[in-house]
Amino acid sequence: MALSSDAFGWVSDLVRRRSAIQLPVGKEYLVESRLLPLARQHGLNDVKAFVVMARSRNEERLLRGIVEALTTNETSWFRDNTPFVALHQKIVPDLLAARPRPAHLKVWSAACSTGQEPYSLAMVLTEALPPQVTFEILATDLSQQVLDRARTGRYSQLEVNRGLPAPFMVRYFNRVGAEWEINRTLRSRVTFRQHNLLDPAPVGKVDMVLLRNVLIYFDLPTKQAILRRMAGVLADDGILLLGAAETTIGVDATWDRVQFGSGSAYRKLATQPAPCSSNVVGLSGQVPTQAGPPGLAVRTGPPTAPFIPPRGGHS
Amino acid sequence: MRALVIDDSRVMRRIVAGNLHTLGFETFEAADGQEALDLLAAGEQADLACVDWNMPVMDGLTFVTKVRADPELRGMTLMMVTTESEQSQIVRALAAGAHEYLIKPFTPDAIREKLEWLGLVPVGEHV
Amino acid sequence: MTTATVDFASVFEIAQVVFAAMVDGDEGLLVPRDDGDDSDDDGAGAGIADPVMSWVEVHGPYSGRTAVITGAETAHALVRALLGDGDAPVTDADLVDAFGEIANVVGGNVKALLPGQGTLGLPKVATSLPPTADPLVLTLRLAWRGEPLDIAVWLTQEEEGGNR
Repeated sequence: MALSSDAFGWVSDLVRRRSAIQLPVGKEYLVESRLLPLARQHGLNDVKAFVVMARSRNEERLLRGIVEALTTNETSWFRDNTPFVALHQKIVPDLLAARPRPAHLKVWSAACSTGQEPYSLAMVLTEALPPQVTFEILATDLSQQVLDRARTGRYSQLEVNRGLPAPFMVRYFNRVGAEWEINRTLRSRVTFRQHNLLDPAPVGKVDMVLLRNVLIYFDLPTKQAILRRMAGVLADDGILLLGAAETTIGVDATWDRVQFGSGSAYRKLATQPAPCSSNVVGLSGQVPTQAGPPGLAVRTGPPTAPFIPPRGGHS
Repeated sequence: MRALVIDDSRVMRRIVAGNLHTLGFETFEAADGQEALDLLAAGEQADLACVDWNMPVMDGLTFVTKVRADPELRGMTLMMVTTESEQSQIVRALAAGAHEYLIKPFTPDAIREKLEWLGLVPVGEHV
Repeated sequence: MTTATVDFASVFEIAQVVFAAMVDGDEGLLVPRDDGDDSDDDGAGAGIADPVMSWVEVHGPYSGRTAVITGAETAHALVRALLGDGDAPVTDADLVDAFGEIANVVGGNVKALLPGQGTLGLPKVATSLPPTADPLVLTLRLAWRGEPLDIAVWLTQEEEGGNR
């Protein structure tokens, strides 16, 4: 009961119209595999019948479900690595140094998808901040479906295999059945909310915004509008983090690029000079005692340690 | 970069080694922990060892423990590659000195990301 | 946690991941058979001609086994896909190793669904399954690249007193 080429064509069209993603012909089996769970949710045992139903009903919810099922990619933890290293070693210590005590950091993860980014942030901040400094993270995304997933804090074995350092897995997660769940303390630091980047920002002043790998979906004027909105919510010395291959250069000239290792962050121009802190701050000796037995401290004598910059290309 | 792939299954060694070759490693293999130690004692060098847990003669945990106790092998990164996925197992492996832990089955992306985090592979472009 | 966690959805997900990650390099090539439902009325592997099976046993707070059953030709194709050897002939040693490894990784992940810590035996490959005292709890009737492939789980679990 394979998808007919007509049905496959309808699905491809739908996906292309709504996401700009092309489903190549020859990948029918992928469509069948991705849509089968959705079909079963609707009480049908095969995708062909499900597509017939979705086409005839033409319900927004169904259509959106199909598009999301076919365009969700696996996201990884600590994506691209370098920004999170920099957060731990430089960006967060700098921000802290410039703020009166007791400090409270606010971060906005503005394209949070299934939650790996904001939870990765929460882990880094837990590691990097002294205990008396609190933090909160607002995580937003356009898709209600991914937000619902993100709120559960539960991830499959395949998902936790993606870029999540094993020491963090045992420190911040608990095994629940075949899945891994972020511990309650960390979950409580992240609030998930639906938000369209084309709308006014849902926050007051924040210290950091992560806007990673989402500007690519917009045209130039929209990118500029979004970046202006980001500037509006960032503290004067606040930091904007984009995706690894992204830049404000050629888009918005009101940002100052801050180099760290092989990556970069952005700060608003024409504000206070950057805090003077050129020393790389080492790991705090503080190991949070959460999941895991006592004694699971920083390993001695390994050739690598958590959060070292990747080799090659760092100053 | 050289990597030692230790697994009693030839097909698993082939899969792991194949992934490592794509990432730029030269590889050599052993079918159990003892064979691996013998190779290292004979002068073979490795920057990385990918270690299965359940193997005859000498299992992966024992191999890791012995390597970490040997000052000559200080420079070697140790990554478990195993189906064992109990939290307590992972804790045990890390406490014994493994630097990383990759659960089977894994995708090529997963192994690459682990090695990027360990600093053994330059951070590349994500799809 | 009870044997309810060893259900169609969880085991199918494991199988899909194993095949996507290790065999096919892509998802979607392992699917439920058209006649497929998870009733085990006919026994695992029923209707598969010239069957070959690989399995692992598990011991601990529970006893059981996970088996992968398919036709001999399909098993050979599976091994070729795993070894990435193109059309090279599949030796018995290759079959035991590669087809056994599938059962090993699937079985290892099925074991992970269960509470407590069991031990996994070495994978075995044969043309028939030895009898077992454990009841058959689940049969997945699947198709890999269009060819029938079953995954079956036998399981006896220790009685647990009270709630977890």
